[in-house]
Amino acid sequence: MTGIAVTRIGLLLFVSLTVAAQPTVAPTPESVGSNRGTNLSNYNFRQSYELGYRFVDVDGNPDKYRSDVNFGNGIRLLNSSFYVNSRDGKGKYFDEFLLNAQGLGNDPYQFANLRLEKFRRYRYEMNWRLSEYFNPGMTIAYGYHRKNLQRRMQDHQFTLFPQSKIQFYGGFSRNVQNGPALSTANLFDTRGNIFPFFENVRREQTEYRIGGQVQAAGMKLFWQRGWEIFKDDTRGTLSEPGTPLDPTITSTTLSGLRRDEPYHGTTPHWRVNLFTEHRTWFAVNGRFTYSAGARNFIFDELATGAVRGTPRNMQTLVYGDARRPVTSANLTFSLFPTDAVTVTNHTAYSQMKMEGDNNIRQLTNNTLDSTLLNFQYLGIRATTNSTVADWALRKWISVQGGYQFSSRRVQSTERVDDSGFLLLAKSEQSNHLNSGTAGFRLRPIRGLTIVADGEIGRQNRPFLTTSEKDYHAYGARVEYKQKLFRLAAQTRSSANFNSISLFSHSSRSRTYTADASWTPNTKISLDLGYQKLHLDSITGLAYFQSFVLVSGDRSYFVSNVHATNVGVRLALIKRVDLYVGVSSTRDTGEGQAGFTTQPALLAAQTFPLNYLSPQARLSYRLREKMRWNLGYQYYDYSEKVLALQNYRAHTAYMSVLWSF
Amino acid sequence: MLLCLWAMQPVQGQDKSLAEKTQENKPSPLPAGYAGGTVCRACHPAIYANFYRNAHSKTLVDERVKFEQKGCESCHGPGKAHAEAKGDKTKIVAFSVLPPKQVLDACLNCHAQQMGRANIRRSSHTTADVVCSSCHSIHKAATPQKLLAKTQTDLCYGCHSNVRAQFSMPVKHRVNEGFMQCSDCHNPHGADAPTWKMAARPRMMAHGLQNEEPCLKCHVDKRGPFVFEHAAVKVDGCGGCHVAHGSMNARLLKRPQVLTTCLECHNGAGNFGRNGDGIQLTISTHSLTDPKYQNCTLCHTRIHGSNSNARFLR
Repeated sequence: MTGIAVTRIGLLLFVSLTVAAQPTVAPTPESVGSNRGTNLSNYNFRQSYELGYRFVDVDGNPDKYRSDVNFGNGIRLLNSSFYVNSRDGKGKYFDEFLLNAQGLGNDPYQFANLRLEKFRRYRYEMNWRLSEYFNPGMTIAYGYHRKNLQRRMQDHQFTLFPQSKIQFYGGFSRNVQNGPALSTANLFDTRGNIFPFFENVRREQTEYRIGGQVQAAGMKLFWQRGWEIFKDDTRGTLSEPGTPLDPTITSTTLSGLRRDEPYHGTTPHWRVNLFTEHRTWFAVNGRFTYSAGARNFIFDELATGAVRGTPRNMQTLVYGDARRPVTSANLTFSLFPTDAVTVTNHTAYSQMKMEGDNNIRQLTNNTLDSTLLNFQYLGIRATTNSTVADWALRKWISVQGGYQFSSRRVQSTERVDDSGFLLLAKSEQSNHLNSGTAGFRLRPIRGLTIVADGEIGRQNRPFLTTSEKDYHAYGARVEYKQKLFRLAAQTRSSANFNSISLFSHSSRSRTYTADASWTPNTKISLDLGYQKLHLDSITGLAYFQSFVLVSGDRSYFVSNVHATNVGVRLALIKRVDLYVGVSSTRDTGEGQAGFTTQPALLAAQTFPLNYLSPQARLSYRLREKMRWNLGYQYYDYSEKVLALQNYRAHTAYMSVLWSF
Repeated sequence: MLLCLWAMQPVQGQDKSLAEKTQENKPSPLPAGYAGGTVCRACHPAIYANFYRNAHSKTLVDERVKFEQKGCESCHGPGKAHAEAKGDKTKIVAFSVLPPKQVLDACLNCHAQQMGRANIRRSSHTTADVVCSSCHSIHKAATPQKLLAKTQTDLCYGCHSNVRAQFSMPVKHRVNEGFMQCSDCHNPHGADAPTWKMAARPRMMAHGLQNEEPCLKCHVDKRGPFVFEHAAVKVDGCGGCHVAHGSMNARLLKRPQVLTTCLECHNGAGNFGRNGDGIQLTISTHSLTDPKYQNCTLCHTRIHGSNSNARFLR
C-alpha cells in the first residue's frame, strides 16, 4: 500500500470520525495541520489549543436549563492537548507525556488528564474533573430539594516498573462535593408542618492505596491495600421564620432551625487477585476482596417555634456508629478443549453485613425523654454459579449457551414500632434464580454480522414487587460494515411478570434502533440514527384515601421515546468545513387512562415531552495550522402536560484552534 | 511543560529516530521466516514513521525482549513470505481478516495477565465477537491513550445505539459533555458477578470500593453504612428506582413522579421485603388525595438511608 493511499484512507476515516456522535457543538472536533509535530532534541512535540468564547441566551425556565445543559457565557480553553514522545524510546527522564484538557475557564464540565511514562521505570497517571450540578427537581418534593453543587474529582496513580514482572504502585483519589442545597423538615410532630431550610453541603472522600503485582511461574498475583476516608459535614440552617409548605396548617410555626449531622468514617480494604492463563487449554482467575466500612455519626438538631401558640424548642441528639464488612470472592475457570470451543465457569460469593452498636440513645428535650433506637441489622449473602459455552461451528457461524444459578439470603433484625419498647422482629428469606441463555452469531459474508440471543429466568422469591421474577428477553442485531459505510439495526424485547394472589407487576420493554453512516469521499459524510424505546408497566397499588384503605388500584406507566440523530459534514469549499446536525428526543407517552381514577396516579401515567437540539458549526482553516470556528446549538425543552419547566436556549461559540 | 523542556536536553547517542536505531540494532542473522522492520517500512512508510508514538514501539528498544516479540512481526507474525509475495495478505497475520477469536488470542498473548482483563474470556463482548480490534486501532488510533479507534463514547454508541438515545435525554449523566466516560462505570473487558440483585447479567460493571454498584464511586454519600438502610437499595441496587444512563424524569427516576416510584413497592403485597410479609404500606393518615402526601421525599428526605430515623425522615 502506498503512502498516499494510506494518507487518503486515514483522512477518510478521520472524516467519518468527526461526523460521529458530537452532541455538544463545542469543542471543535476538526483538527488542523499535520500530525507530525515538532522535533526538538530527542523528542517529538504535538500541541493543540482551542480558545473561544461561549454565548448563551435562555428563554423560559433558567433552572431547568441549568439542570440539563448549564453552559454559560465567557472565555474558555475549550480543548487542549500537549503530547511529547521520545523519538528513540529512550528518553532521559520520560518517553511519553500526554496531557489533555477540556472546558478550562468556567465551563460546567471540565477535565484534565495526564500520563507520564518512562518505559520500564515508572508511569504516572492523573485524572481531574469538575462538574457544576444544578437540579431543581420540580417533580421531587415540589422542587424543594434543589441542589447547586460542585463536584471535583481527582485521581492519581504512580506505578514503579510498569512493564516488569514485579510492579508496585501507590494511588490517591479525592472526591469533593460542596455547595448550597435546599431540604425540608417535618416539625414538630407528625401533625406539624413541613418547612424548607438551607443546607451547606460539604462532603469529602479520600482514598489512599498501595499495591503491587508479581508475575512468576505463569501466574500473576495482584494485591492492593487501601483506605477510604469519608467526611460529611453538611449543616442545615434556618435563621428566619420558616415558611410552611402547607398554609392550611397554622398551628405550627418555626422560628429557627439548626441541623448538624457530621458523618465520618473509614473503609480499609484488601484486594487480592491470582490469575493464570495457559491458552492451549485453560485459564484460572481467583479474586478475593474484603472491606470493613465503618462510620461514626452525630445528629444534632435544634428547632425553635410554637405549637398552638405555646413556645416550643426541640433538641434531638443521636449518636453512634455503623459498620459494614463486605467479603466477596470470585473464581473463574476457562477451558479451551479445542480452538473452536470455550467453556467458562464462574463462581461468586458475596457477604455483606450492616451492623453497629446494639442500641443508640436518642435524646429529645421536646418530650424530656430519651429513646432507645435499635440498630437495624441487615445481612445479605449471595452465591452464584454460571457456565457459558461458546462453540465456533465454522468460521462463519458460532453458537453459545449458558446456565446460571444464584442463591441469596437476606437476614434482618429490626424494631417494629416507635413505642420505645424493645420489640424486635427477626426475619430471613431466601431467593433462588435459575436462568438460561442461548444465542448464535453469523458472518455469512465479509462485513455482515448477525447476532441473536435470548434469556429466560425464574426467581422463586424476589425482594420487591417490581423485581424480576418470571422474565425473558430476546434480541437480534444485524450490522453491515465496510470501510466507509456502515448500516446496523437491532431490536430487543424483555418482559417481566412478578405476580402474586392480590397484586401483580408486569413490565414490557421493546427497543428498535437503526443507524447508518456513510463517507463516500473526503467532501461529505453522513450519520443517521433512529431509536425507539418503549416501556409499559403496570403494578398493583394499595394506599389510604381519607383513612380508607384502597386496594386493587393500579399504577400504569407508559413511555414511548422516539430519538433521532442526524449529522452531515460538508467540505465542499476549500478550507471550509461545515457540520449540521440535529438530535431530537420525544416521549409521546400515549398512556391509557382506564387503570385508575385517582387523579394523582393518572398524572403519573405518562410524561410526554419534546427535547430538540439542532446545531451547526462552521470551521475555516485560516492557515496550515490554524482554524477559526463558529458554532450554534439550540435547545428546546417542552413538556406537554405543564409548561412550568419549559425553556428555549440559544448557545453559540466562536473560537480559534491552533495546532502545531 | 517546564519538566518537558528540562527533560528534552540532548542525551548522547539519542539524536536518531527509533526506526534508525532499530535498523542499527537489527540482530543478525534473522530468525527463519522473519523479514525485519526495515523491510516492512518499504511498503508501510506512514505506519513506520509514526510508530515511535505507539506504546508497542517500546519493545523495539527493549533488549530483554526476543526478536520475535519486537515490532511489526511480534503481532503480524513472520513477514518474509508476505514481502516476497509482494504484499499477499494471506501470507501474513492481517488483523482485518482474522477471525475474532484469533484476534483475541493474539492480543492476550501479551495482555492477558492484567487485572482488568481477568474476565475477558467470558465477557458479553467476547461472546458477541466484539474483540480487541473492534475498539482498538494500533496504527490509526484516535486517542493516544488506550489506542482507541474512535473516542470512547463514539465506540460504545456504535453498537449500543439505545444507550446513545438515553444519553440524549434531558436528564442524564454527563457523558456526551466529556465529564464522564462509559468506562467510569463499565469494564468493557468483562466483570465479576454483581453483588446486587441476583448476580445476574453483569453488564460489564466496574465495581465500586465495596464491590457495590459503580454509582457509589461518585455518589459516596449514598453508600453508608447507615443505622437504617433502605433495604431495597442494598438488595436490588440503585436500579430499583433510577435509570443510570438517562431519563426523561427528574433525578433519573424510573417514573415521572416520586409517588408511584415509592407506591409500586410499598403496597403491602405478598411475601416481599426484608420481613417477608410485604413491603410496608403508607400509614392511614397519609391520604393520597392530600398533595403533600403525593411527594413522599418531601418528608422522607433521607431515602437512601438514615442514621437517626427508621422512616428516613431525617
